[in-house]
Amino acid sequence: YAQEMTVSGKVSDAAGGEIAGVNVVVKGTTRGTTTNDKGEYSITVEKGKTLTFSYIGYITKEVVANATILNLSLTAEATALNEVVVTALGISREKRSLAYSITEVSGTNMTAAREANLGNALAGRVAGVNVSKIASGPAGSSRVIIRGNKSLQGPNQPLYVIDGIPMDNNNFGQAGLWGGSDEGDGLSSINPDDIESVTVLKGANAAALYGSRATNGVINVTTKRGTKRKGIGVEFGSNYVFEKFNDLSDLQKSYGSGAYADGVAVKPSTQTQAYEWGDDSWGPKYDNSQYVGFDGKMRPYAYQGDNFSRFYQTGHAFTNNLALSGGNENQNFRASVTNLNSTTIIPNSGYDRINISLSTNAKFGKRLTLDAKVLYSEEKAKNRPNVSDSPGNAIQSLWRTPGSYNVLDYYGDPNKPGAIPAGTDANSLSVFGKQVGEEFQQASNNWGQNPYWVTHQFIKTDKKNRFITSGSLKYQLTDWLYVSGRVGLDKYQRRAEGLTPEGTGYQRGGARSMGTWNVQEINAEYMVGVNKDFGKIGVNAFVGGNRMRWKYDFVNIYGNGFNVQFFPAINNVKGKSWDFNYQERGINSLFGSAEISYDGFLYLNATARNDWFSVLNPESNNTLYPSVGTSFVFSDAFKNLPSWLSYGKLRASWAQVGNATNEAYSTNLTYSLNGNPHLGYAMASFSQAMGNNGTIPNPNLMPLTSTEKEFGIDFRLFNNKVAVDFTYYDQQTTNDILNATISKASGFGQTYVNVGKMQNRGIELLLTVTPLKSANLNWDVSLNLAKNNNKVKSLIGNSNELVMEEPRTRNAYIKNIVGQPFGMITGRVQKMSPDGQPVFYNDGRPVGSAGYEVIGNGIAKLTGGLTNAFNYKGIDLSFLVDFKWGGDILSGTNMRLTQWGVSKQSLQGREGEAPLTVTGVTQEGTEYKPFTKTLSPREAFDYWQSVGGEADAVTPMYLYDASFIKLRQLTLGYTFPKRLLEKTPLQNLSISFVGRNLAILFKNIDNVDPESTYSNGNSQGFDYFGFPSTRSYGFNLRATF
Amino acid sequence: CDTKELHDLNINPQALNQVNLNLIFTSAELGIASNGTSGDNRYIDWRTNIGMCAYAIQQLANAGGGIAPGDKYTVNAETNAAPFDFTYNDQLKNLAEILKQSGPGGFGEGKYLNMRQAARILRAFSFARLTDFYGNIPYSEANKGTEGIFFPKYDTQDAVYADLLKELDEASSALSTSNPDEGFAAADFIYKGDIAKWKKFGYSLMLRLAMRISNVDAAKAATYVTKAAAGGVFASNAENVWVAMADGPGEWTNQNGISRAFDPGDGGQPAYLSATLVNFLKGTNANSAADDDPRLMIISGGIGDWTAAGYTPITVDPLKQKGMPNGYDQPMLDKLEGQAVILPKTYSRINVKMLQDSDPYMIMNYGEVEFLLAEAIERKIGTGISGTAQSHYEAGVKASMQMYTPYDASLTVSDAAVTAYLKTYPYGTTRPALEMIGEQMWVNKFFNWWEAWNDWRRTGFPKLTAINYPGNVTNGTIPVRLRYPTNEVAGNPNYQSGATMPDELTTKVWWDK
Repeated sequence: YAQEMTVSGKVSDAAGGEIAGVNVVVKGTTRGTTTNDKGEYSITVEKGKTLTFSYIGYITKEVVANATILNLSLTAEATALNEVVVTALGISREKRSLAYSITEVSGTNMTAAREANLGNALAGRVAGVNVSKIASGPAGSSRVIIRGNKSLQGPNQPLYVIDGIPMDNNNFGQAGLWGGSDEGDGLSSINPDDIESVTVLKGANAAALYGSRATNGVINVTTKRGTKRKGIGVEFGSNYVFEKFNDLSDLQKSYGSGAYADGVAVKPSTQTQAYEWGDDSWGPKYDNSQYVGFDGKMRPYAYQGDNFSRFYQTGHAFTNNLALSGGNENQNFRASVTNLNSTTIIPNSGYDRINISLSTNAKFGKRLTLDAKVLYSEEKAKNRPNVSDSPGNAIQSLWRTPGSYNVLDYYGDPNKPGAIPAGTDANSLSVFGKQVGEEFQQASNNWGQNPYWVTHQFIKTDKKNRFITSGSLKYQLTDWLYVSGRVGLDKYQRRAEGLTPEGTGYQRGGARSMGTWNVQEINAEYMVGVNKDFGKIGVNAFVGGNRMRWKYDFVNIYGNGFNVQFFPAINNVKGKSWDFNYQERGINSLFGSAEISYDGFLYLNATARNDWFSVLNPESNNTLYPSVGTSFVFSDAFKNLPSWLSYGKLRASWAQVGNATNEAYSTNLTYSLNGNPHLGYAMASFSQAMGNNGTIPNPNLMPLTSTEKEFGIDFRLFNNKVAVDFTYYDQQTTNDILNATISKASGFGQTYVNVGKMQNRGIELLLTVTPLKSANLNWDVSLNLAKNNNKVKSLIGNSNELVMEEPRTRNAYIKNIVGQPFGMITGRVQKMSPDGQPVFYNDGRPVGSAGYEVIGNGIAKLTGGLTNAFNYKGIDLSFLVDFKWGGDILSGTNMRLTQWGVSKQSLQGREGEAPLTVTGVTQEGTEYKPFTKTLSPREAFDYWQSVGGEADAVTPMYLYDASFIKLRQLTLGYTFPKRLLEKTPLQNLSISFVGRNLAILFKNIDNVDPESTYSNGNSQGFDYFGFPSTRSYGFNLRATF
Repeated sequence: CDTKELHDLNINPQALNQVNLNLIFTSAELGIASNGTSGDNRYIDWRTNIGMCAYAIQQLANAGGGIAPGDKYTVNAETNAAPFDFTYNDQLKNLAEILKQSGPGGFGEGKYLNMRQAARILRAFSFARLTDFYGNIPYSEANKGTEGIFFPKYDTQDAVYADLLKELDEASSALSTSNPDEGFAAADFIYKGDIAKWKKFGYSLMLRLAMRISNVDAAKAATYVTKAAAGGVFASNAENVWVAMADGPGEWTNQNGISRAFDPGDGGQPAYLSATLVNFLKGTNANSAADDDPRLMIISGGIGDWTAAGYTPITVDPLKQKGMPNGYDQPMLDKLEGQAVILPKTYSRINVKMLQDSDPYMIMNYGEVEFLLAEAIERKIGTGISGTAQSHYEAGVKASMQMYTPYDASLTVSDAAVTAYLKTYPYGTTRPALEMIGEQMWVNKFFNWWEAWNDWRRTGFPKLTAINYPGNVTNGTIPVRLRYPTNEVAGNPNYQSGATMPDELTTKVWWDK
């Protein structure tokens, strides 16, 4: 009969402070206790049994009960020396063995103050991860770039892997030159409440095992799972936030609706005038006299107050999450359901999501383990806002509204907002050329919508149902040899519906569309591995294979006009048409990895992977990607190091990753039939160019290669109170697969080519300091910084420049230029005389340059974030400040605000305002003559039209430094002490105030947010009437039972 | 791991490796009507044919709304880019593929004998349109993207014209009724495979292009005018080139792009006629209907409201027809008229009967051919043209007045009305003969406004008064070409060395002297 004894003692942290609430359990039993406020415990145990000491945030310690007093200290996880992280293929490794930089972000960072999109939640968190928040609203997509853009064009975003299953992060459409909306991406399906942790594999080295698709790094998401525990754990979370419009505008308030007539600014004196030019703010100074509005009504010619606050509402987001988990030695499970309901600041728009997840792990006998998981999500987006160009863009209409209007004047019919109200007189209807019930246009320009018509009459909904499921089995043949297999399926259906209502300015008959996407990706993977120590030498190696199949089909039905009026059903459309698109892709892979360690301080890793791509022709469809790396923990190797050095490691690695980024069916020229025969005559053309912008196929395409070298040092000082993780990398992409924009005179818009070289070199620094640490008070500061230098080294053939995107203002281009960083912003500039004088027309307008000149770059060079976390007796305060430095943004919004007479800039040169004087030269033939002119108000008007115009633009005038510092996140929370909860079923209860995007601490651009780029595509740096800046704040509650 | 199953994934189940080239020819035929296969066939018409040409040539006017750089001589990127962006990529791409695959080494080598020649004629038609807009254009290296030429060099306009005329000569003479049909008749929805008509189209187009260069290369012009006359040009309206359009199924490809561009239900261009045109059609005496051009109330649908619900004329009285002056904005019109002008109640509009979605699209007509012959005789260019300048002029006027029935059966002009008109305005007497020919060609090319613009640039007729709207970029002169698209300027390395410079609206193209 075993001897029972009482063991007592004190549990402290590394600094000597006592830790209260540590779970002390007799291993293998349910017997346990917790430490008191002084860190003391007492427990009865059979001698020789093991005691387990565990506490959140600390490494669990096991101690054999062989003495009656057992004092011990726990090591905090954040500074744990044998941290384990999830690396490529879901393999857990000791962090110390890694030859490359890897960063882990805990799931709790994503659930306090929330972003609907996982990508946006990573902003400022990880050195070298550049997140661009897209000005497209909360349901929009994100742009996450790790260590710079690696491909001139290909997808530069990382591979997302959910519990070992690659996920399709397909984009459903972005706003472009002609407007449109951000239709979201795949990432939004992920529920932050299900995330245990996110590890970011930054370099090619880290990701080499994933092969081709990891060229741009990998973001590995590990979802929560059940753990061994007593009974069923219940976790409840509730989060409620308000979203508020953040008004950054600074507009003129002294001139209203009007135009120049015969050189004089006049306000509309007839309804026709008001309708023709009433939405420009070029009228005379407010004088409180009466003027005629577009609707024929008289109103005082005076500033009518802030229209933004009248139009934008408070958005709400309410998230509730309930999770159950349980488990024993052999089996565990976790089930969770989360519901998100949100509305945005734009009336009638919002985003809802339901996530359901179920996971289980089981051990059968000693050798077989099973891991299975189902993640289901249902997303509904309502009225994603149109941004960029004007059609259906309420945001733009609002910006344009002259100060002499109250935007509620546009409301129209109260029962059909934005529509011409009943009772409108015949004369007005004649001016509009419209009927009651049609769009109540505030101006004759059919393309600038009534904002209420947009928000209340347009329909733009989409719904996505998605399953991500996986199952894996691992069989331990011996204690050092295993085989494993995993199958994962990511499958979703998306249905998008659109209605342009009857009576809309630019599409009076109305239009309807309904599209359905079916996408699935299946990965099947197997591995055989060994894990064995031979004395001081350890071997961890495996070989395996993967088979990926991706399938996509898209059917869209659409039509314009309706057979029966005001019945917007798809079956009621006239001239019904349809589109069909189908694609399949596959990759077969073999891979292997070996790690040899010596005495726990020297590690050598090597991996190799070979991928075969379906999208390339068999002659050039595969490539082998190797990687090697070493890690040397010198603090363990040398015993006589100074005591202030707690830990030190040097690492170096080299790797290649390749990719085939071209679409399916893009290697061979084929023909297809036009879906709609004309008058019964069938028609054919190139499959690749049924429309205007085809891509020339290329049979000789081969995989691109990204080669990366990485060196780093990690060290920790002063008993782990200071930790530094520093990395230098040098990456080069060769044979980039580019869907290059070519001259349309070639007959096509693009061509697939293997061209070019691009380089990214940079440094990353993660500095973590714990200035204060005691039982009651804890203060952690973490700073991450990354600087990336990108350079395009060569392009297609003898061409030194390739054009990418053009903004709606049509006076700029994003280009890739040899010798310059990726994505230069070029624009029309003012022509200069040979001696450097600006050239003007005789009326004072600038003469534009013939071509485009480099004016900036839309990608920040330096990015980073600073996190501060204080914790005092259950109260925690933390904030994240993030910043970007060194990028530019060309603001089409500001160009237009001036052209419309809305901006303060447009004041200069008006009657009674500061005069506009230009100085330079005029040109006659080859002669240049000195020229100085103070412009008349009418000439000043033409000047302002011109500088942001298409012909003689001066784009540098609207190029802004996009650098910013933002208070990205703030949380202030309180965790109730356990003793207060003793009499309740609650085990933990915490409540916090949370805020996101609370303040822009520094910016350099007028009127808009420096993060106003409206697309998540490769062309960054164009602002044009994107979703406005918002801030959100609210409360977060978490309880466990 | 490199399995057949993997390779098979890359076979597009919707595509063919080879195709009946006649099917591509049908695409090209639809394409010549505003580039109808590109997915937005109103794009060119809206932006360029109307937005620039119809206003610049003063057949339409615009006081606001739509895209109208031609009314005020301003710059609009889409207006400039549309023909370039939508021609190489549309019918020219398809025509180039037909010629490549039916030529040496192609999978259709030796077949499609007549269709191939018809394709060359459509190609010449399309390239002429491009070079007339811009001047120098990618030509010899154009549409060779599939052969690896991604940034073609520019050819000078005289080189382009020389080759187009040679092409028309070869193609027209190679067309032969003794060649097998090989599916051409079933694919050709313009002429249903009528080879005689195709030949006439080839020679008529040759006549147009030859006359176009007559100011700068008289010898070559004479050579080809002579060849055209000998080869046989259009002899009746039955030979006019129309591209039939349809109500559907797709509005972007099947409907008439011009009609769509004016569609009041689609945010389109306002359809107000220019004062210049209306005044010409109203004749010498504005207070008499007797001296009116019979086309006045064909082209004008009257003054009235046109909405999606329908057209409600306020007046169709010819005496009350009124055009809008070019170069005016709303405040200027209010001042001009001395009152608040409600546009639809004030100005005449294009006849809605010619703006139906299914109305056919005019490519080239017999009337123009007669005017060109009249001009050739007057200017003694070429030989072998039978008849007199006057007989051709009068035949041209008659043809021109009587060509509207394909739009709507009611749009007829009687022989008597034609005769009366010719009597009221005797040839060479009312005004100098060449001016009268020029004016008639101008009216004749209503809808083909880019062609009216070409003719005006070459002949100077009709005599137009330029406007000088504040902020215009031409110093108050009527634009004489388009600027190249921004993506060419920004992206094609051959632009700086080969394009027509300076790249402005005021730079004349080679034949414009």
